[in-house]
Amino acid sequence: MNAPDRYERFVVPEGMKKVAYERDMKVMNAATFTVEREDHTIGNVIRMQLHRDPSVLFAGYKLPHPLQYRLVIKIQTTSQSSPMQAYNLAITDLTKELDHLKAAFEQETSQKQAEYY
Amino acid sequence: MDNVSYQRFPTVRIRDMKDDVLKFELRDTDASIANALRRIMIAEVPTLAIDLVEIETNSSVLNDEFLAHRLGLIPIISDRAMEMRLSRDCDACDGDGRCEYCSIEFHLSVKCTGDQTLDVTSFDLQSSDPTVVPVDCAGRAADLGGFDSSEQRGILIVKLRKGQELKLRAIARKGIGKDHAKWSPAATVTFQYEPDIHINEALMETLSLEEKQEWVESSPTKVFELDPATQQVVVVDPEAYTYDEEVLKKAEAMGKPGLVEIYSKEDSFIFTVESTGAVKASQMFLNAIEILKSKLDAVRLSFDTEEADDQFGELGAHMRGGGI
Repeated sequence: MNAPDRYERFVVPEGMKKVAYERDMKVMNAATFTVEREDHTIGNVIRMQLHRDPSVLFAGYKLPHPLQYRLVIKIQTTSQSSPMQAYNLAITDLTKELDHLKAAFEQETSQKQAEYY
Repeated sequence: MDNVSYQRFPTVRIRDMKDDVLKFELRDTDASIANALRRIMIAEVPTLAIDLVEIETNSSVLNDEFLAHRLGLIPIISDRAMEMRLSRDCDACDGDGRCEYCSIEFHLSVKCTGDQTLDVTSFDLQSSDPTVVPVDCAGRAADLGGFDSSEQRGILIVKLRKGQELKLRAIARKGIGKDHAKWSPAATVTFQYEPDIHINEALMETLSLEEKQEWVESSPTKVFELDPATQQVVVVDPEAYTYDEEVLKKAEAMGKPGLVEIYSKEDSFIFTVESTGAVKASQMFLNAIEILKSKLDAVRLSFDTEEADDQFGELGAHMRGGGI
């Protein structure tokens, strides 16, 4: 009766921003990003990539409530960088990694096809 | 901006590749990527499935919604699905979500006239697009010699008796598994960590032959074997190890802790991808990579949020007059 519609899990309604951020008032160089209609699939991936960045002091994500489909990522960096830069760098690096993976996989499949025939 | 990159360079090695099963090794990447790809293959790779059913005549033993549910679960060959638009995003159709760009129409018209029970199968569904048809399971099984190929059956929908009739029109649309499981292209997608097994040879030598045999047999799956020629314990199938610690407990019980060390390699995964037939298994993996890339792109910060960025950092702190 109170269950949200299934498409709520991935359809961002009109007027709602996909990503929004808030600077942290009390801590220097820290921000909280709220991503709408996403879940652990990208939350965990972005968080683990942020951990690889040495200028990131703190990176964590959570889903505040299982029935509200939003993701909260908290990032704190050194003064060398900023949370936004770290976030965008993480996404850029992940995109490059996936391009590399796709190329490697396509090469493997074409090799396998060639072997088969 | 400095051009630093903290990218990883994953490698892939395919072990076995068939149309519907794919087994491969993924190395030099993180568990989060492996899990994200698994989750996307199950829930977010789009396929086609029947979504709207208009029933003209139904005198079968199953009621209308039961039939509609069964029709929705039939896997449909979905190579076109990645390029098609979702019905709600389609602007070409006149609002009812049924144009040629976003949907495929199927017709089913069967009447049982003979005395025998008539099986209505997925073969009886006629598609408006000859490239988009229900998955043919018997055809492939015939290639493997499992079925008699003259008995092409298809997926059973309902059985009709003499005089019963079924006539309906069905619209198939693009969707993802997150919305309803009928749109999931995956039968199972699993991955396991590759185990790293080290036998302490010095300690192993202190065991007698019977003790070695006993220890080898204490593992529920066949991971180790006692080579009769050299009388050494060898690792015969490291991946059969299911991370139960029976061999470790047995070694301790025999008074030899540290006889073997088994770790899981943190960046090495063995994937098994099984598809329902809607999308080829290798194509499913490629689609999953594309979808993960587009999700990451959608989540990137836009430029107007980046401009507010220069409030951060040392200059920002200086301007605000404080902070470390």
